[in-house]
Amino acid sequence: MTVTLQDSSASAVIEARRTYNEKLSRKTDQTRATWFPLALLALLAALPLLQFVGNYNYVLHLVLFTASYVAMASSWNILGGFAGYVSLGHAVFFGVGGYFSGMLLARYGISTLITAPLAGLVAAAIGYGVGLVTLKVRGPSFIISSIALLMIARILFDNWHFIGGANGLTLPTNDLTVQWAKLPYYYAMLAIAAFTVWSAYKIKHSKFGLGLRALSKDEIKAESAGIDTRFYKVVAFALSAFFVGMAGAVWGEYLTYLRPNIFLLILVSANMVLMCILGGKGTIAGPVIGAILIVALNELFVATMGASEINILGTGLVMAIGLMFFPLGLVGTLARSGKLPRILNWD
Amino acid sequence: MAEILQILILGLALGGVIALMGSGLSLVFGVMRIVNLAHPALIIGGAYITYLAFKAFDIDPIAMLPVAAVTMAAVGVVLYRLLFQREARSAKYSEMTVLLTFALAMMVEGLLGSLFTNTQRVTSPDYATAAFFIGDVFIPKGQLYAGLVSLAIIAALSLFLKYSRLGYAIRATTQNREAAELLGVNVQFISVLAFAIGIGLAGAAGSLVSFVFSFFPAKHWEWIAMLMSVVVLGGMGSILGTVVGALILSVVAAFVGTWIGATWSTLTFFLALFIILLVRPQGLFGEKPEMA
Repeated sequence: MTVTLQDSSASAVIEARRTYNEKLSRKTDQTRATWFPLALLALLAALPLLQFVGNYNYVLHLVLFTASYVAMASSWNILGGFAGYVSLGHAVFFGVGGYFSGMLLARYGISTLITAPLAGLVAAAIGYGVGLVTLKVRGPSFIISSIALLMIARILFDNWHFIGGANGLTLPTNDLTVQWAKLPYYYAMLAIAAFTVWSAYKIKHSKFGLGLRALSKDEIKAESAGIDTRFYKVVAFALSAFFVGMAGAVWGEYLTYLRPNIFLLILVSANMVLMCILGGKGTIAGPVIGAILIVALNELFVATMGASEINILGTGLVMAIGLMFFPLGLVGTLARSGKLPRILNWD
Repeated sequence: MAEILQILILGLALGGVIALMGSGLSLVFGVMRIVNLAHPALIIGGAYITYLAFKAFDIDPIAMLPVAAVTMAAVGVVLYRLLFQREARSAKYSEMTVLLTFALAMMVEGLLGSLFTNTQRVTSPDYATAAFFIGDVFIPKGQLYAGLVSLAIIAALSLFLKYSRLGYAIRATTQNREAAELLGVNVQFISVLAFAIGIGLAGAAGSLVSFVFSFFPAKHWEWIAMLMSVVVLGGMGSILGTVVGALILSVVAAFVGTWIGATWSTLTFFLALFIILLVRPQGLFGEKPEMA
């Protein structure tokens, strides 16, 4: 005797499931506060109006600096948070982006604001190549290999005379007055940061992002569930290099000089990791909150104690405390206990 | 021919020191699966202890070695209690500890930097700049003494691990933590002990490093990848492997430094690390890795 499923009952089940899913997604839509990041963005976009009433260059610099780290930390989050591969070498892509666009600016006078996406692509291509090799190992071995990558890049950049070696390269400044000189970079960095956060959101909610989260939990099970883990990881690496490269490109022109000891610094990598851990690895709002917190903390340390050594000590201390007591980060810990305020729920 | 011999001798002498620098790292990984990124920073801590004693009381760096070792071992016990004990049950233990030791490295760097500034320091006992001559070949006394002392310490460590009861316990814990615990080894105590010995070795290495290399707080970033490559080549957790790895890489780096250019000799270590991790992650003498 064969059991046949009647068409009507099967479609009824599918129909019921669809309505249930819709109900669920409506519920998450209600708890998510998409308006908040948008309002924040609008507020920041209007911030330069302050320049009409006074000189707020320092405020703009702080927002720009924070935005660059929002972009980098969110970008790092794609590999480190979603896929679970912690990289301490992402400063390499910051450097690659900065130098690629910076060289174009120095040689041909094309602004980095135009070439930034290109710089991102170059960084992504290098990330793809490196990922093909280093993503074979995981856990501590991967972390160590990423440090080695940074060290190799530092030596190469320090000794490559075409790009200025250890002394670096001075870039032309723009013709705007001091009052408005920061504006192009301000908006560019803000746009890059917003684009990165939006992309991270899209990636997290795609099938690709689901695959990444699966392989971060258990790679062998993910593989046997039919996910091409190798391809997924390498693409995640390339994507997470892309946005860092873009941020690096704009940052280079903003600083008006390129130097290996500014871009290829382990502290830059450490900051990305720290922001994600502190804010919440694998969440969308986490890296943003983390970036704001760390930049604020940095400014506080520098303003009250001055020395950069104290700054390193403070960064290490915050990182250790965060790791030991809040391994899920601010957003993760709050979400677990169900106390996450609605305005921070961007997932 | 004389040139090759010369490079070989310089490489081997430095290799001895690097072996001592790496042995603590290897021991700590073997027993506790902690990849201690703060190890080189703690070596620099040992170097500063020696430097201060040398500047203030003119104490010979090699004589200062036991003091630096014991002090750093005590620091190791404190660090273990503060940082790693509570992490032992965390799911992503090894990854967690890598990040934690990274944070620790930054803290040590920042602390040393604010205490002693980022100026290059070096202790200068008489032998640091002297040399023996055998025909055309010269052997710098400082590096020779440092290499010999290093190898003596490593030999003592190996004997301790091989023939003492505590050594048995440490090796048992390295091989299989659960089984060792079942057979009555106090794994907690052994972990603290091994960590203290590991950091003590860092202190000892610091004393020797103080007159072989010039150092400043941020220098440890260069060393971490260098030591990692040595330890990974030998096989994480194997002391013998660390010695062999250190000697091989140091000699290769010496040849690269002389024939291609001094800036590229450090690149040898980083490239080697990269290649070993990808081709043979367990290293020369390592067991099949449980890192995955």
